[in-house]
Amino acid sequence: MTRLLHAELLKLRTTRTFVALAAGAVAASLLLVILTTSLSTVDENSLRALLASSPGASFVLLLSAVGITGEWRHRTIASSILAAPDRLRLLAAKTIAYALAGVAVSLVVTASIMIAATLIVSARGEATLGLIDLADVLWRSLAVGALLGALGIGLGALLRNQIVTVTALLILGLVLEPTLVQLVPAVGRFGPTVGAPSGILDVAIDPSVEAGTLLAPGLAAAVSIGWVSATFASAAALLRGRDLI
Amino acid sequence: MYPSSGSATFAGQRYDELEQPAARVGAVLEDASFHPGRSARNHLRVLALTGGHAAGRVDEVLATVGLTEAVNRRVKGYSLGMRQRLAIASALLGDPEVLILDEPTNGLDPPGISWMRELLRRQSADGRAVLVSSHVLAEVAQSVDDVVVIADGQLRAHGTLDEVLGGDDVPATEVRAQDPARLTDALERRGHSIQRDGDMLVVLDASPQRVGEIAREEHLAVLGLAPRVRTLEAAFFALTGARA
Repeated sequence: MTRLLHAELLKLRTTRTFVALAAGAVAASLLLVILTTSLSTVDENSLRALLASSPGASFVLLLSAVGITGEWRHRTIASSILAAPDRLRLLAAKTIAYALAGVAVSLVVTASIMIAATLIVSARGEATLGLIDLADVLWRSLAVGALLGALGIGLGALLRNQIVTVTALLILGLVLEPTLVQLVPAVGRFGPTVGAPSGILDVAIDPSVEAGTLLAPGLAAAVSIGWVSATFASAAALLRGRDLI
Repeated sequence: MYPSSGSATFAGQRYDELEQPAARVGAVLEDASFHPGRSARNHLRVLALTGGHAAGRVDEVLATVGLTEAVNRRVKGYSLGMRQRLAIASALLGDPEVLILDEPTNGLDPPGISWMRELLRRQSADGRAVLVSSHVLAEVAQSVDDVVVIADGQLRAHGTLDEVLGGDDVPATEVRAQDPARLTDALERRGHSIQRDGDMLVVLDASPQRVGEIAREEHLAVLGLAPRVRTLEAAFFALTGARA
């Protein structure tokens, strides 16, 4: 298992996709934070919400979905399984590798926006977050990064087609879940890409939605782990029975 | 792919039951594919890690297939022949006892085909069993020792190349003569059966030497004389009943 994990991490490091998406996550998150803190007044609560709700997590989800579906797009899945015929272990190694990648990307993104926001807010003479608050935002972001990294693998292995998977994730994360949160918040807060992660991050899904809508962080983490487990189990069952070529 | 029936085993074990399977069986599939953004060396490093092979094998197999100069180039810039070499390198990574190659000469230019033929011979001489699946029968016939003919999912023949080509058939000679009618008459008078194939006569149960002697005795000019050679393609058509 260890060598499979190392192989998956090597795969990640040896193409430009990982660097490009990680750079995109940092750039988009920095832009949002710099514009918001420069152009408007932020108090401690809104600053915390801003740091916790960066778009970095969405990039992690896309990264892992692109990573697993790329195996079918470039038809490398057959050579991977020829080298390691135990498909379940291969999928598990990929899931762990992308969970670790999610942690790494979230760490870089969150650290970058924390530094930028603190510098700008301090320069404006406004209150910044203390170390404890920053650490709280950081661990929640890392947890969400890991869970979304793993979730993307399960969803990607289920759908296999890269364009379909990325499109489905964009629709789910940008349209379906936010709409569900608006219309039926009691259901929307259990969503895999927005609802439950927002509970872990402890930031309001939508400012117009009443307080108390979010799941408690512990329950949200359990729901997210449930989503990851369900997609992993479904993907593993499908992968075991599928022809690869 | 999962078989609809039957099974394939290596030394009695299914591929996925083998300990370190890529070290026992190396395979190149017809659509061998690579991530276009990854270099050849990195592609092999990933496979070496996945298959549990020594990292040092990466450069060894790249040298074996003649890709040393291009190891750090991204695969998307490779020609079809270079990709085929990289696929072979992937299969050789675990130094396997068995090599399975599906259509290995697809897309190769003549020097590439010659290189592949030489490589297959070398792998066989090194003690590996090399199984080549191909529809290019004329090419296959130049490299193989044993042949298995499968058509419509059925085993039609297997044996040495000579056996499958009809090595036990009666010898025959192809001859072109200035006066085919007189030569036919002379051969038939000496008990030989003749088949006409255009302007060529196929003399059954006679060696080229015997046909030449008869032509000389009859003072007949011969324009061409050669033993009949059955091609693998002809054998395939004969075995399967398929038509050209």
